[in-house]
Amino acid sequence: MSVRLARRQLLAHRGRTLAGLAGIAVALLLVLALKAILAGMEGRLTGYIDRSGADVVVAQEGVRTMHMTQSVLPEQAAAQIASLTGVAEVVPIVYAPTMLERGEQRSLVYLIGEDPAAQTLPLVSGRPARAGEIVVDEALAGLVGARPGTTVTSLGRRFRVVGQIAGTSSIASSIAIADRRDLSTLLRSEDAVNYVLVRARDGVAAAELARRIEQAAPGVTASTRAQFSRAERRLVGDMSTDIVRSMILVGFVIGVAVAGLVAYSATLSQLRDYAVLRALGLRARGALGLVLAQVGALVVLGFALSIALLVALAWALPALSPALALAVRAGDVVLAFAVAAAVTAAAAAFPVLRVARVDPASVFRR
Amino acid sequence: MSTSLVSIRGLSKTFGEGETRVEAVRGLDLELEQGEIVLVMGPSGSGKTTLLSMLGGLLRSTGGEVWIDGTDIATLSERELPPFRARTFGFIFQDFNLIAALSARENVEVALNLGGIRGDAARGRATELLSSLGLEERLSFPIEKLSGGEKQRVAIARAIANRPALILADEPTANLDSHHGAETMRLLRHLAKSDGTTVVIVSHDDRLREVADRVLWLEDGALRSLQALVRDPVCGMLIDPARARASLVQDGERLVFCSRGCRDELLRDNNTLKGYTPRITTTEKEDVR
Repeated sequence: MSVRLARRQLLAHRGRTLAGLAGIAVALLLVLALKAILAGMEGRLTGYIDRSGADVVVAQEGVRTMHMTQSVLPEQAAAQIASLTGVAEVVPIVYAPTMLERGEQRSLVYLIGEDPAAQTLPLVSGRPARAGEIVVDEALAGLVGARPGTTVTSLGRRFRVVGQIAGTSSIASSIAIADRRDLSTLLRSEDAVNYVLVRARDGVAAAELARRIEQAAPGVTASTRAQFSRAERRLVGDMSTDIVRSMILVGFVIGVAVAGLVAYSATLSQLRDYAVLRALGLRARGALGLVLAQVGALVVLGFALSIALLVALAWALPALSPALALAVRAGDVVLAFAVAAAVTAAAAAFPVLRVARVDPASVFRR
Repeated sequence: MSTSLVSIRGLSKTFGEGETRVEAVRGLDLELEQGEIVLVMGPSGSGKTTLLSMLGGLLRSTGGEVWIDGTDIATLSERELPPFRARTFGFIFQDFNLIAALSARENVEVALNLGGIRGDAARGRATELLSSLGLEERLSFPIEKLSGGEKQRVAIARAIANRPALILADEPTANLDSHHGAETMRLLRHLAKSDGTTVVIVSHDDRLREVADRVLWLEDGALRSLQALVRDPVCGMLIDPARARASLVQDGERLVFCSRGCRDELLRDNNTLKGYTPRITTTEKEDVR
């Protein structure tokens, strides 16, 4: 009966309940959407490495990421690694975070120099870049108007757009691919590369190959693709931790404020009912359970609504802005549920205290 | 211990301390038999509701004992009191106090659930009770869709759902028209006489005297002899002549009033009373001073 009564009490004031649900859903959506946007951004940032087909990424000793760091290897390191047992293929790359400009439009890109034959990422249109040419992400192309045949400027040099890749643009940056030697010349580092991507022969484990590379080529750090991606994600995660914490706090505060206000106003309007139920024999604990059931139901429904809104957002956002990709991770949903549980506990506190003070003898007051 | 269903000994209740101290009930003794209908009347603030609250285990007394069916409710803990209330008492209120979010049947089911009857058994008994009170067509009706008389019948069904030994009714006819008031009175009488339920009614409604086995007069927290009381000829209220607020005297005949307003109203509207001489009572002098 208590569940039915809690449900009926919520349904008795549909407008108030719906307003509460919407408020809680929006508060939880703040947390979920931010986490999903960051997860999507992480996915895009590591998209090049994840989809390169490399089993091992070799960098200067001590370097385990591409972002926020600098790695320089001698060009001959690639040949040395290629000669090792278990190596199927090596792709030396040059890497430069820079701006890509077209007219008034500017965007941050991670410019990667590859040999044209390497073609680590599949092209969605055009062909690989040769000297004086560039391949850009289709989302970036749409953003700055860099369609095939047009020219863009980067590192003070004009490049002709000859092809497009997909799935590397995020709200923060994008990948662009140029010819490695051309880019090395531009960077005045003809004898150096920044990373070497290594593909293992069939039957050779990535971790074992990484160990062999570090033993054979002093002054390098070899990470498996999974290790390298994880380190990149952690770096992004560390940079966004404060933002995420702030938004979780904001979501929590809004959730508590909305759920608390709805629950408290509902409780005040039901005080007479609680007094009657107490007079009829409901224990104080039972009355508190009724309040918690109402607040809990409100928050659980608000949580479900926030998930539905997130799914709708994940579907609609990329259509509106290709650079925005939402990735919903189970861990983030669990985090939002934990926030919802905390909201329930906090929002129920005042109503519970109020109901605990209900005097059953007040049923005789008029 | 008495053989009565209810035995009240030296019951008292005090609110506040010092200058704000109010003795709502003072050393009250009372025995109630099974199947008896007792009407408690008295002016506002006389302690009727306080007495009813203490009798129903809703308010702790300051002193004295309330024995109900062999249990001194003052000795029951806060944990023991709610289930005791659910099993032992049925409450009927002036404002019905039905839960608006529930249907007529669910209001009765709630009381049954609290009394330990659940599921189909509760649903069946609630249906049976409401049908016996002529509400078989109103079982699923929301409370706001019911008339005053129907609401009171739902409240009565809820009060008797757990077959309580004692029904406590606070102004049960005050919000009803004469027809529904009479119907409620008949129902209460039937409950007491057919099921042996003891009924305590607190009311200003003089019509309820018709169904009561005993009428008690509570004033200033103490029971007074009803024979010594006289009726205000304007509002019909029973008054202790010694504490009347106003009076009229002519040829040895004395009319007493609950207030000067009642007395003045009678003088203004009735020319045959022009010969009466208004007398200022002791209480009135105190008011003037």
